[in-house]
Amino acid sequence: MNAPTSTAELVAEEDLPHLTRVPRRHLGRWASAVVVLAVVVFIIVSFARGNIDWPTVGQYLTDSTILHGLVSTVVMTFLAMFVGITIGVISAVMRLSENPVLRTISLGYVWLFRGIPQLLQLYIWYNLALVFPTFGIPGLAETQTTQLMTPLVASVLGLGLCQGAYTSEVVRAGILSVDPGQIEAGQGIGMTRSLVLRRIILPQAMRVILPPIGNEFISMVKLTSLASAIQFTEILHSAQNIYFVSGKVMELLFVATFWYIVVVSVLSVGQHFIEKRFSRGHGSRRPAAARVQEETA
Amino acid sequence: MMPLVKAVGVEKRFGDFQALRGIDAEVHEGEVVCILGPSGSGKSTFLRCINQLEGIDGGALWVEGQLVGYRRSGNNLHQLSDKEIARQRRSIGMVFQRFNLFEHMSVLDNIIEGPVRVLKGSRAEAVKTAEELLARVGLAGKAGSYPSELSGGQQQRVAIARALAMKPTLMLFDEPTSALDPELVGEVLNVMRSLAETGMTMVVVTHEIGFAREVADRVIFMDGGQVVEEGTPQAVFTSPQHKRTRDFLSAVL
Repeated sequence: MNAPTSTAELVAEEDLPHLTRVPRRHLGRWASAVVVLAVVVFIIVSFARGNIDWPTVGQYLTDSTILHGLVSTVVMTFLAMFVGITIGVISAVMRLSENPVLRTISLGYVWLFRGIPQLLQLYIWYNLALVFPTFGIPGLAETQTTQLMTPLVASVLGLGLCQGAYTSEVVRAGILSVDPGQIEAGQGIGMTRSLVLRRIILPQAMRVILPPIGNEFISMVKLTSLASAIQFTEILHSAQNIYFVSGKVMELLFVATFWYIVVVSVLSVGQHFIEKRFSRGHGSRRPAAARVQEETA
Repeated sequence: MMPLVKAVGVEKRFGDFQALRGIDAEVHEGEVVCILGPSGSGKSTFLRCINQLEGIDGGALWVEGQLVGYRRSGNNLHQLSDKEIARQRRSIGMVFQRFNLFEHMSVLDNIIEGPVRVLKGSRAEAVKTAEELLARVGLAGKAGSYPSELSGGQQQRVAIARALAMKPTLMLFDEPTSALDPELVGEVLNVMRSLAETGMTMVVVTHEIGFAREVADRVIFMDGGQVVEEGTPQAVFTSPQHKRTRDFLSAVL
């Protein structure tokens, strides 16, 4: 401890009632906030003054083609994530099964679908007719694969199956995070393995699974733009259709950007509430996070 | 009378380690048996074999006259399916060292989970039983709490109530007070003592010599995966016949 340099710094016990306590001033916070604000204003002003026709952006924000694309983007996000999460959970459970056949299938699935670039997977599904010209039971119920593999179906399969491979790993990590004692307790009251899985393991794994799934959900909103490559008219494809005609490239891309950010913001709020719901019984979790924040502040 | 639990030459290996080297034991209906022994003696492993949390590698176990883990068909013993094992476990209550309450469920939901989901009983009935059990373990007001909001002693009492909700014929306790702060041990032992007074058949792996001396009808002392000595608490604690028992008792008393 540094010794006080003058008598003004010495504190005697009897002085205490006459002294005023001044809270620590966070000068660094104020200074950095001002700098950040200045940078943000600079960027906004630059964009506003740039060679971009903002009235066109405003005009196309609610254009029917754009709104139709927006709906397709949202619908595709939910469909692909539904397929992805369903297959991911099944695959994760298979991976942790005692059955070596199931384990191997899961391992192979994750290996293959994580290994092929997403855009390529979309092309393969869309062009599946090259490998399987017809689909169904020969002679009974058969259709042309080209009729079945619409851009919508190919996109759902392509995006969903690839997502499933990633989600499988997330769910597996979640399941492994559950204390083995919980499983024994479930078995102890006579639960079968499948009941333990549904009632005990998965609900508790959700707490660990949800944050990364929310992350992947948001990632999927933007990943759907890949489907424009196989003629699925999501919002980016809609924007492209317009700017191919009008030539207002950047303007239409800003329109798409605006809607992506809106959708992602709404999903982020939803994620917050779902996570809260599944962290029941973990009251200590928030205070711990708050403590870390205080310490790093 | 046929014993409720009968073990003949039970063996268990973990890799190269032989945890149980031929355990012979019997527990009769209404009896309280305490299993004592140094750590690593196999006492918890033996307890876990009784409700098949561990499979056995040799010998045989009967609970309520039923062979544990196998079904006889002619001259063959067929290994039971997961479903059949779960069914055998229903009448055996288990209390763990680390409580293992379902963390995502309230105290009430912990207790009614088995009766509702496993026994497929009515929810209203299960809630009524749960409230009676909570009152019995001294936690009448805690039905809505989550396990993380309770002390260790309270959690363990809920765990006992959860096991009792299945109306078991046998209760197994695996070091139920070892993870508790010293001042919380008493409340759990009190609940166990009153349970013993109702005539419940209990097998208790414990280090609580005082509890064993007071409540147990019989004490089994294990060491090195074998039963070294057994008898009334009076006999085992005051005049142990084996040197290993004497050494253990002089270390813990």
